[in-house]
Amino acid sequence: MEAFLLGLQLVFNVETMLVIFAAAIFGVFVGAVPGLTATMAVALLVPITFYMDPTPAIAAIVTTSAMAIFAGDIPATYLNIPGTPSSAAYVNDSHLLAHKGRARETLGMNLICSVFGGLFGTLILVFVSPSLAEVALQFSSFEYFWLALLGLSCSIFISIGSRVKAFLSLMIGLLLSTVGLDMMSGAPRFTFGIPDLMGGVNFIPVMIGMFALNELMLFYGSRNEGRELPYLSKDSVFKQAPKHIKAYWPNMIRGSSIGTLIGALPGAGADIAAWISYAVGKGRSKQKQSYGTGHVEGIVDASSANNSGISGAWVPALVFGIPGDSITAIVIGVLYMKGMNPGPTIFMDGTGLIYALFIVFFLANLIMLPIGYAAIKSAKVFILTPRKILMPIILCFCIVGAFSINNSITDVWIMLLIGFIASILARCDFPMAPAILGLVLGTTLENSFMSSMLKSNGDLLSFFSRPISAGLGALVILLWLSPLITMAYKKFKHNSQHKAPRIS
Amino acid sequence: MRDLLLGLAFMLLGAVVLTVASQYPTMASLQYGPSLFPSLIGGGFLIGGLVLSATQLPTLKRQLSGTDANVGNIFDLRSVLVSLLPIALIIFYIFASEFLGAALCLAIIMFVLMLVRKTSLPLALLVSFVASLTIYFLFSRYLLIPLPEGLLNFWG
Repeated sequence: MEAFLLGLQLVFNVETMLVIFAAAIFGVFVGAVPGLTATMAVALLVPITFYMDPTPAIAAIVTTSAMAIFAGDIPATYLNIPGTPSSAAYVNDSHLLAHKGRARETLGMNLICSVFGGLFGTLILVFVSPSLAEVALQFSSFEYFWLALLGLSCSIFISIGSRVKAFLSLMIGLLLSTVGLDMMSGAPRFTFGIPDLMGGVNFIPVMIGMFALNELMLFYGSRNEGRELPYLSKDSVFKQAPKHIKAYWPNMIRGSSIGTLIGALPGAGADIAAWISYAVGKGRSKQKQSYGTGHVEGIVDASSANNSGISGAWVPALVFGIPGDSITAIVIGVLYMKGMNPGPTIFMDGTGLIYALFIVFFLANLIMLPIGYAAIKSAKVFILTPRKILMPIILCFCIVGAFSINNSITDVWIMLLIGFIASILARCDFPMAPAILGLVLGTTLENSFMSSMLKSNGDLLSFFSRPISAGLGALVILLWLSPLITMAYKKFKHNSQHKAPRIS
Repeated sequence: MRDLLLGLAFMLLGAVVLTVASQYPTMASLQYGPSLFPSLIGGGFLIGGLVLSATQLPTLKRQLSGTDANVGNIFDLRSVLVSLLPIALIIFYIFASEFLGAALCLAIIMFVLMLVRKTSLPLALLVSFVASLTIYFLFSRYLLIPLPEGLLNFWG
C-alpha cells in the first residue's frame, strides 16, 4: 500500500502531468503526419527524457507511443496514407468510409477502440506481470540465455517478409552489441582504437539513425509531398459509436486479446498485431466479403489490437528485461542508462516506480479520449503540416539529440553511419526491429552464456539441466524447426489428399 | 539484383568479422573467449549472405537471358543523390560546427533542405532562423549541453 501511495505521488505532480499532456500533443502530431512513425517519435524524445526523472521519462514515452498509434489513423482515413505502420492493416476500409462522408465516425470508432485496447492491455499488464515476476525471480543465467534467444528467434520468425533479411538484420544488431570491452577478458572488440567505443555503442544514436535519419533519407529520395486533402467530413464523431459498439463488442475484446498477446512476443509490435487481428476477424466474420470495402468491423478488430499491443509489449520488458517491440527496446535502454535494471526486481523495490508506471499507462490511455477528440476535429491542421518544413527541423533534432547523450561527436558519426546503412536496407525491404532487438539483447545473450559456461565448467548440457531452462530451450528448438515441421505437414497433407481418391 | 549485391556484401562483411575475431586473445582459464560471439555472427553473415544471393540467381539468369522485362532502371540517380543530402549536411555540421557554431550550422542545414524541396525563400529563411535558435537554446541553456558556440562566442 505504501508503495502504491508513493507511485501516486510520483505521477500526480505538476511536472509529470505536464509531461504527459505535452507528450500526448507531440504523439498526436507525429502520428498524424505521414512518414513520422511512433518509434521515430520515441527515438527523438529520448535525448530529452534522458534529463528527466524516471517517472516523467517513462510517462513521456508511454503517452507519445499510445497517442501516435491512434493518430496514425487520421492521415490513413483522409489521405489513404497510414500515419504509422500500425494503421496499414485497415487503411482501405478507413479511406473508403471517408469517401462516403463518414471520416469522423470512422476516427471516432478508431479512438474508442484504441482507448479500449490500451486499457485492456494495461489491465493484463497490471494483473499478469507481478505473478510472472515472482516466477522470474527463480531464473538464473541459463533461463535468461534461453529467454534472450527466444526473443531474438521470435524477431525472425514473426517478422513480415523475408526471414533471411530479418536474420541478417538481427546479425547487424548483434554485431553492434559486441563492440566495446569484452565482459570476461576485458579485450577491446571492434573499437578501432576509438576511446568513445570502449564502453560499447550507445544505442540512442543507433535508434535515431535507424528510425529518424533513415526516414529523412527516404523522404528526400522521393518526390512525393502527398499533401492534397480531397475533402473534410462534418459528420459526428461519436453519434454512431453506441451502435457499432453494440454490434462489434466481441471484436473489440478479441482484437485486444490478440493485440496484447502478439505485443508481448518479442519482435512483434503493434503493426503485426493489427494485421493478425484483422485477418482473424475477417476469417470469423459473417460479412467476410465486406472487409476491405469500407467496413467498420475490420477497423474495430485491428484498431483495438494495435493499441493493446503497445501495452502488451511491456509485459516481457518489465518482467524479464526482454523488449516486446522497438519502443520497449528503447525504454529498456533508457532504464539502463538511469541505473535501473528492468527485470523481476523492479517489482520488489519499495520506491513505487512500478505502480507509477501502471498509473501512467491508465492516464496515457484515458487522456487519449479528449486529446484524440480534439485531434479529429482539427485533423486538417495536422495533415496539411508541410513535411518540407518539418523534415529539416527533425534532422537538426537528430544531430543535436545524438550529440547530447555523451556530448560526443562520435555519437553523431554513429547515427550517420547507421542511418546510411538502414536507409539502404530499408529500400531493400529489410525489417529494422530485429536489429534493435539484437543490439539490446545481444549483451544479455552473450553475458548469460558466458556466466553459465563458467558456472558449469563449460558443460553445454547444463542448459537443459533445470526444468524451466529445459522447457525454454525446447521452445526455442521447436521454433527453429517450425519451418521444417510446417513443410513436412503440408507435404503430408498434399500426399494424403492425392492418395485418398485412389483408396476410395 | 540489389539483393544479390547485398548478399555478396554481407558475405564480405562476414569474412572481415571472422578475420578480426580470430585475432582476439584467448584465455587459458576460459573455454570460450571473446572471439566466440563475433565468430558466430561472422558465420551468420556468411550463411545469410549466401542464401540471400543464391535466392536471387534465377532472377539474374532471367535478366541476363533477356526474358525479364525489369532490367535496368534499378534506381533513379537523382533521387539517390538527393537522399544523400542529409548525410552530406551532417558531415558539414561535424566539421564546421566548431568554427561556425551549432546555431549557424543548424540554420544553414535547414535552409538548404527547405530550398531543395522548393520552399519559398522568405519562409525558409524565417523558419531556419527561428527553429535553429530554438533548438540551440533549448539544448544549450535548458538541458546544458555544451553545443559549440563558434562565431557566437567570437561576437561575445
